[in-house]
Order: sequence, then C-alpha cells, then structure tokens
Amino acid sequence: MVRDDLAEAHRLAWEHIAAPGTWWTGTQRVELAKTALQAIADPDPLPPWVGVTTTDRLSSALVAPAAAHDAAYRIARHAGTMTVDVYRAVAGEIGKLPYVELCAIVSTVAAVSHFCRNIDVPVPPLPAPVDGSPTQQRPERLAQPRYNWVPVAEPADEVAAVVQAYTAVPDEQRNTWRMADAQYMPVAAMVQPEWSRRPGGLSRAQMELVAARLTRLRDCFY
Amino acid sequence: MLSWSSTETGQDLDLAAVAAGQPGVLLEHGDALVRFASACGGTDDAELAGARAALVAETDEAFMIDAAAVAANFEMMTRLADGTGAAMPAERLERSAEAIGVMGIEHLTSRR
Repeated sequence: MVRDDLAEAHRLAWEHIAAPGTWWTGTQRVELAKTALQAIADPDPLPPWVGVTTTDRLSSALVAPAAAHDAAYRIARHAGTMTVDVYRAVAGEIGKLPYVELCAIVSTVAAVSHFCRNIDVPVPPLPAPVDGSPTQQRPERLAQPRYNWVPVAEPADEVAAVVQAYTAVPDEQRNTWRMADAQYMPVAAMVQPEWSRRPGGLSRAQMELVAARLTRLRDCFY
Repeated sequence: MLSWSSTETGQDLDLAAVAAGQPGVLLEHGDALVRFASACGGTDDAELAGARAALVAETDEAFMIDAAAVAANFEMMTRLADGTGAAMPAERLERSAEAIGVMGIEHLTSRR
C-alpha cells in the first residue's frame, strides 16, 4: 500500500499538470504531458535526433508548438542526450522560461508514470485541463547561473544546480520538491547519512544505491 | 552521494557492482535492490515483476514501495538535471573523481 504522503504528492502533481501554468495553459500542459507519457511508454522509441512532430505519432492538431512537443519527447525518453545547442534551439523558439516549465512537466510525468510501473499499477489518467490563462509570474530578478543552462531566480549558484534549476518558475519548483520530499527525502535531511523514513525502512545508503543504479542507466552524469 | 553515505555510515560497498548491475554490492539487501532498480530502469516487464517479488520476499511491501519511489524520484531528477544543463563545480568533480571512474561515467554526453 502506497504511503499517504506519497499518494497525495502524486495526486497533487497530476492536478498541477492540468492547471494553467506560468507560461502554458492547462490544455497545453496536458497535451505536453501526454507526449511525455507516450515517449516514456513507447515500445519503439524514436532516436533522440528525430522530432516526434515530424512523424505520425502525435495528433496533427496540437495546441502547443511543435518544438515544445519535440523537446518533451526527447527529455522524457533521451534526457541524457540533451546538449546546450539543443536547449538553445528550443528555448529560442518557445522562450527560456516556458522551456523551464516544459522540462518540469516532463520530469513530473516521468516520476509518476515510472512509479506506477515500478509498483505495477496503472498510470492514472491525466485530469481534464483547467481553463484559465498562464500567470506569467516571474521572480523579481533572474540570473544566468554558472551551473545550469536555464536562468534561475537570484541569487544563482548558492545551492546545487538541481536545486536551483526550476526556481525561475516557482510553481514548478514547489511541485517538484514536494514530490521529492515524498519520493526521496526532505531537502533538510540530505546532509544526514543516517536518515531513514521509518525504522526498518530503506537506509540512506540503500536509497543512494537505487539512485546510483537508476541514474547510471539513464546516462545521467550529475 | 552513494559513496558518501556508505562511507559516513561505515558500510562497505562495491561501486563497480552497482555500475554493472551485478551481484556483490555488499550492502544489506543490496543485490535485490540493484536488481530491482535495474528492472525499474529497463523495459522488461517480466524481469521487473520478478525483481519486485524478490525484493518483497527479502524485505516487505513497504520497503519495495519506498525503493520504487526513490527510483521514480531519480526518473524525475535525471530529466531535471539533463533538461536544465545541471553541472557540478570543479571541486566536487575532483572529490568524486574515483567514484566517477569506477561508475564509468566520465565520457557521458551529460557530463558538462
């Protein structure tokens, strides 16, 4: 049986996907999430250099731009092949902050869908998109960090690159770290080598063992 | 983080076995966890079912679910890191040089 906090984090994540975002509408967000889901479950995945919108695998009536769908598919299925040139090309078409939000949609989908497969339950259907306009709210000041391609909220590079990665889109930052708290551990516990969620549960070293093996399979250097 | 946590807690660990997905990790339940994490990251549903059942038999369902959640978290974090171009400071790379070599990840595209 799935822990209540974990089930709730994933339920909120799916609600979050369907709500209007900061730069994408709810309809666009759900559409991009479906592309990510399709990429992850694709039994015959496209190679990273082929844009999914150049094939017949998606509907021809897309609301979000083709570049966003192509990036969603690639990040969902081949994240380890992303390069700064690919990032610049996509961000040049859709904008840097919409790119950050897109990346967060994909990473959220990856967590929920893989968790369902890992424990052998069906992936819940995405909720219907919620009407409304993107908020277009941005942090007061943005900075170009040394350790990420994407802009982040100031101050840059005072925390790890993965921790600051989504700070330019605060709603995505909140959703991501709420999920990480439930799936992995609270940020404050990361410096505690003896941390465990419960007596007899996964030890810190066992958690890192799973993390190391999974990230190795995903060709993720970080 | 793996080598840090095992060192800090005084637990032996064979990083090369983790990198290769092979038995002999040394950590308690380590081999079952490596098999399960490998299956989570793979595409063979039958192997995942077997790895899941083996982990539950050795531990319990709650333990397996926590491991599944950690694997899912790093499905999220790999997209986050590689989608946003996350990189490590040089001093951290220096500290991790041995582990990077053993894990065989020094030539990955995602090294920035």
